[in-house]
Amino acid sequence: MSRTFRWTTAGVAASAALSLTLTGCGVGGGGSDDSGAADTGGKVAGKITFQTWNLKGGYKQYFEGLVDAFEKKHPGTTVKWVDQPAEGYQDKLSADAAAGNLPDVVDMGPEAARTLADAGTLLNVAEDDPEAEKDYLPAAWKAMTFKDVKGGTYGYPWYLNTGPSFFNTALFKKCGLDPKNLPKTYDELFDQAAVMSKNCGSKGISMIGRLPTIETFGMYGAKLMNKDGTKFTFNDAKGVELVERYQKLYKGSGFTEESLNALQTGEADSFKSGELGWLPGSSYTLSDLKKTAPKVAESVAMGPLIANTAPNMYLESLVVNAKSKNTATAKAFAKFVTDPANQMAFAKKASVFPSSTGSLEDPYFTKDDATDEGHLRVEAAHQVGTSVVWWPPAFSGTSDVDNLREQIAKALLGKTTAQQALDDAVKYANDRLAKQ
Amino acid sequence: MTSTITAPERDTRRADRTRPARPVHWAQGRWYVPWLFLGVALVVVCTFALFPFFNTLLLSFTDATLLRGGQFIGVDNFGELLGDSRFQTALLNSTLYVICVVPVMVILPLILATLVAGNGRLLGFFRTSYYLPVIMSPVIVGLVWTNLLNRRGLVNAVLEWVSAVSGPVPFLTDRWLLLFSAMFVTIWMGMGYYMVIYLAALASIDPSLYDSAAVDGAGTVRKFLHVTMPGVRNTMGLIGLFSSIAAFRVFGEVYMLTDGTGGTGGENLTMTMLIQREGTGLQARTGYAGAISLVMFVIMAIFLLLQLVAQNRQRKNG
Repeated sequence: MSRTFRWTTAGVAASAALSLTLTGCGVGGGGSDDSGAADTGGKVAGKITFQTWNLKGGYKQYFEGLVDAFEKKHPGTTVKWVDQPAEGYQDKLSADAAAGNLPDVVDMGPEAARTLADAGTLLNVAEDDPEAEKDYLPAAWKAMTFKDVKGGTYGYPWYLNTGPSFFNTALFKKCGLDPKNLPKTYDELFDQAAVMSKNCGSKGISMIGRLPTIETFGMYGAKLMNKDGTKFTFNDAKGVELVERYQKLYKGSGFTEESLNALQTGEADSFKSGELGWLPGSSYTLSDLKKTAPKVAESVAMGPLIANTAPNMYLESLVVNAKSKNTATAKAFAKFVTDPANQMAFAKKASVFPSSTGSLEDPYFTKDDATDEGHLRVEAAHQVGTSVVWWPPAFSGTSDVDNLREQIAKALLGKTTAQQALDDAVKYANDRLAKQ
Repeated sequence: MTSTITAPERDTRRADRTRPARPVHWAQGRWYVPWLFLGVALVVVCTFALFPFFNTLLLSFTDATLLRGGQFIGVDNFGELLGDSRFQTALLNSTLYVICVVPVMVILPLILATLVAGNGRLLGFFRTSYYLPVIMSPVIVGLVWTNLLNRRGLVNAVLEWVSAVSGPVPFLTDRWLLLFSAMFVTIWMGMGYYMVIYLAALASIDPSLYDSAAVDGAGTVRKFLHVTMPGVRNTMGLIGLFSSIAAFRVFGEVYMLTDGTGGTGGENLTMTMLIQREGTGLQARTGYAGAISLVMFVIMAIFLLLQLVAQNRQRKNG
């Protein structure tokens, strides 16, 4: 092989590989800022697409019935229901939004809705349908109202969920704690976590299995954002105090190294394997525990979501694509799905809570039927009535979430102070917010 | 005279009449024909390589996000990169990956190829076994190794059982142990592929060279050093190039072992993980992610040019 040929071969190989390096990592650019005008005065007719997030598996029959009922109520309409898998839903929304292919009615949380609303992709339902506000719980309506996006409301609130606490009472007994005296506030939780780590820390048992997230700061008492919703402020004294309590716990072996990096699934796995005393769950955690960790489920006790302030509420909403060709139909369908009767029917099927006004006063949510599930439902419904959506929609994207976790982990490892860690997390989130 | 002159002429005319006229193919001489052959490949290359390449190049000088077209901001993204501690961490991790993985990837598969070259059934079994990880899904490999290396995993159980350690080794939580664990998985997954390339290269070495070396008293090690290695030197260079690029672009192994988090405090982030974090999702900063991609490209281009120059000099001297 001549030198020229060797050089050519190697050069071509290197060039090809390098090109792949850049093109493989290539990223798409954004679209235009043009929000487009939608036909909001049209009649309810024509075809629309309705997208849900991971609901086909358990509720196919419910949604097919819902679509049939709407089409019957509004002859001449066709609703195509599509369901996306749980994994990569944000990526799917990103790709659709960037390509201008967002379905007419889409199921999403306030964080995603805020970003899309800011890009002019979603219909401001408050402007378009001012009467709708009275049909939904004030906290839920407020959660879909974004001060920094023209103060508009960019979706109809749909179902709600809150997180009751699950405790492994067998571990409580084993580690010198009284299972009848379960913690209700963060002060009680950290005190009991210290006892558990003192007695059982060497066996890899701990009370808390995950670092605090943004809603934890809200429930602990930190102020998350300024009044205008333009700057994050969770690096205040309360926020620092929360991180310092985690630091103290980590130093006393009350928080494992795995937990420094654990996501929600890791925390649940630790609870299922009997190594964790407390799991902040949801209304379907109990059935999951019974299925996947029956031994742990036998010794599980439930309590309210631990909070020093109002408990946190998770919300799903139905947004309407501002560029829909059938805005009237899309809007009518979103309102139909979120009306009291349909919300109630879905809540009963899916163990969630309705966001429509007055639904939580239904006896289904107020009368305890003496079953575990019934007790949990009534307790959680009571919490939903007083809860707040702590997660600021502007604190969106995995980058903010990941960065907060990483900064707190560094503080626990002693590489930075609690104050510095939160200052860095707040600066990072504010910088990103300014660049959006 | 006349007849002697005319006969050949007649013969020639007959010959012209009987020989079929050479058909002119419809494609002959038409300017667009080569482009028809190239067309499909060109469309694929332009769509999936050149366009993304130049798009990324342009984006890196803008503040584009996924949902908004960006404004030209000059070299601001690159200035921000310099002060971004995550970028420094990612660059360090990816560079360490190249430094540690590439020498092993060049040598170990060659040793394996030397050991399993031949026609025996047992050798075939080993060749297949070494190649098996190459065809496994990185996700499956990641899950398997995560389960093996975690605190309650088989590796820790064995180490504790033989009393080699007093407590679980933090393979997946300690910054350096996690990075070396990921490197181990990369080597385990990739060595079979390079072994096959070496097997092809070994077949081209003249067997008489080994016989001559044996006559000169060379043992196994000397034959390897003085016959095998010089014989596959070009292949070693190529594998060095390919494994350098693959190592600098590492993503799957670290992603799987850290459950997508980039390790405790984000200390195991690699360059591609950082690009993925910045360039995906609804809040993706595509301009910034493009700048990271461009820096990564330039670093690798410089590194590979140096490698090519070194190889060329070595050939000149050798």
